Amino acid sequence: RSPYTRRGQASVSYAQSLLGAPETQLTALDNGLRVASEDTGHATCTVGLWIGAGSRYENERNNGTGFFLEHMAFKGTKKHTQTALEQQVESMGAHLSAYTSREHTAYYMKTLAKDLPKAVELLSEVVQSCSLNEAEIEQQRGVVLRELEEVESNLQEVCLDLLHATAYQGTPLGQSVMGPSSTASVIKSGLNLTRQDLVEYINIHYKAPRMVLAAAGGVNHEELVGLAKSHMSGVSFEYEGDVVPVLSPCRFTGSDIRMRDDALPLAHVAIAVEGASASSPDIVPLMVANAVIGSYDLTYGGGKHLSSRLARIAVEDKLCHSFQAFSSSYSDTGLLGIYFVSDKHHIDDMMHWSQNAWMNLCTTVTESDVARGRNALKASLVGQLNGTTPICDEIGRHVLNYGRRVPLAEWNARIDAVTPSVLRDVCSKYIYDKCPAVVGVGPIEQLTDYNRIRSAMYWLRF
Amino acid sequence: MMSTVTRPGVILPYYRATRNTFKSLVFPGAMELFTVAGKAELLIYQCCLSFLFPAPAGTRLAHTDIKIPDFSDYRRPEVLDPRKSSQDSSDTRKAFSYMLTGATAVVGVYAAKTVVTQFVTSMSASADVLALSKIEIKLSDIPEGKNMTFKWRGKPLFVRHRTEKEISTEEAVNIGELRDPQHDKERVINPKWVVVIGVCTHLGCVPIANAGDFGGYYCPCHGSHYDASGRIRRGPAPLNLEVPYYEFLDDNTLVVG
Repeated sequence: RSPYTRRGQASVSYAQSLLGAPETQLTALDNGLRVASEDTGHATCTVGLWIGAGSRYENERNNGTGFFLEHMAFKGTKKHTQTALEQQVESMGAHLSAYTSREHTAYYMKTLAKDLPKAVELLSEVVQSCSLNEAEIEQQRGVVLRELEEVESNLQEVCLDLLHATAYQGTPLGQSVMGPSSTASVIKSGLNLTRQDLVEYINIHYKAPRMVLAAAGGVNHEELVGLAKSHMSGVSFEYEGDVVPVLSPCRFTGSDIRMRDDALPLAHVAIAVEGASASSPDIVPLMVANAVIGSYDLTYGGGKHLSSRLARIAVEDKLCHSFQAFSSSYSDTGLLGIYFVSDKHHIDDMMHWSQNAWMNLCTTVTESDVARGRNALKASLVGQLNGTTPICDEIGRHVLNYGRRVPLAEWNARIDAVTPSVLRDVCSKYIYDKCPAVVGVGPIEQLTDYNRIRSAMYWLRF
Repeated sequence: MMSTVTRPGVILPYYRATRNTFKSLVFPGAMELFTVAGKAELLIYQCCLSFLFPAPAGTRLAHTDIKIPDFSDYRRPEVLDPRKSSQDSSDTRKAFSYMLTGATAVVGVYAAKTVVTQFVTSMSASADVLALSKIEIKLSDIPEGKNMTFKWRGKPLFVRHRTEKEISTEEAVNIGELRDPQHDKERVINPKWVVVIGVCTHLGCVPIANAGDFGGYYCPCHGSHYDASGRIRRGPAPLNLEVPYYEFLDDNTLVVG
């Protein structure tokens, strides 16, 4: 075929190119700790420990422990003091970070590929033999409280935290990762954390079968396994009294919570229904559905020519400052929702059109919308993996959630299987005529009454 | 649906203003707090209290301190257990709610229909009027040859028990001679009984029974003569006496109207 008639055709299709992607290798040690890595050939690497522990494993008494522990992690180990640890890390030119979420905790380091052995050694120390000295604990209380205070002004975080609190009320998933202020408080009210609580938490949750040593970058899997064997074989895999903490299902309650404050300039509103768990087959159609609704904020240049219907309406009537369709999934449940920020005179309209977008998905979504959603989702899945750290994070989370890394080729195949009728069926299953959880923060007088929101979850015409 | 309404306490504006002093509360060495003068002191005391007694009403320190109340008293039994997914029971709960709503709607429609029909039918004839609309007459009270008058619908009603002679006379009349030709058979169900309205068709006077030249009725106002069948025979009246709707319930009872 003449090259002139092949304009716009790549030499290799996207699907074909995915098949040639580097494979993620997975090995398990004797004590159950899993080691997974992807050799991308970069000169740098990210290596870390992903642990299956989070605020969901805490109870009312010790909520906030995981978060506090994350603060304590880099404040010295039995072998290195805080200064010595910091010096070791900085002399490598590495970055040491951590995060805690509801079901996962991660400690990871970004460093040069050749410094992998040192990195694994430091990480294993941080996780296994954290010093947790009392003076440091006292100081970190103030830091945690200050962080709590700071997050109060991040209304998106507040809104989504409250969404979990109300949707999963009475269950561990409803708890915030940071915990209440009483946990970190100085005042010994019986509710605040002590060193004993932290030690207990580590003993109960930091067990080898729940940990994954993940790495991405210029790493060699065999080398990594060897390092893991030498540093992490000591991680315990037995529970005291054989009491294995088992996650019970968390009940979702259709409910709402309204934090009205007319002094704030913008209203932050979120509405969510119970979605699919991470391992459910429905997760892909729901991700495509979210891609159909898409996201928007004032900085988007497309104006009223944006492809998402909701975005077009939002722009034309100036309904919101931003919105995004989100999907949080946990091991056995999830939240599927829309979050938007608008001024106080357009909340009702924005809520109406958001629910209209949902109804459209459940009833009359077209092939062109679904094709657009599929492509957008594929692009975002690939686009997210732009660096060793996102790749390593994905490896860690996937191994914890699914027991393996789900390759892009598989995501591709599952996305391609989503047709309009599949999308309609799946969306109807999760969205149509279900009780949502609603949160409003800010000047929300105009936020629609819950009964009307509930009525908009189905169409009489259908 | 359960909803919680919370407002940041009144303290919030002051909280922002006294940021620095508030922070010192949480660090070790909080002893020097109470020497701070002025408004701040009172507010910090309130803050202090709220640390000692977590989650007092109206003031809170972080959104993570908000406790969602326990709504177990209001929950349906299927969703009381927080460790059971609510998805399984979702269909039955919805079905129950919708059935209840549907049943109420049907009952409501019937109630509305009843009320509307009651208002609309109130415009039709009232009971006293309807009561007057029919009259029941015991025929055994009327001897042969006699004409009895009853008040019916505001008008006089003549019920005449005819003799055999009167019957045969009336049946033998040549219809061609009549101003308003009607055979006797057309005017009676049972020839023994004649039921007519006693209003003269001329100008509305009441004819006298067993008077006139034809053995029937005579109207004294302008001299109209009616026969024993109530037909006009002589005089100014144009039509026969009106025969109302009547029926015989049994041999002894006549119902007119």
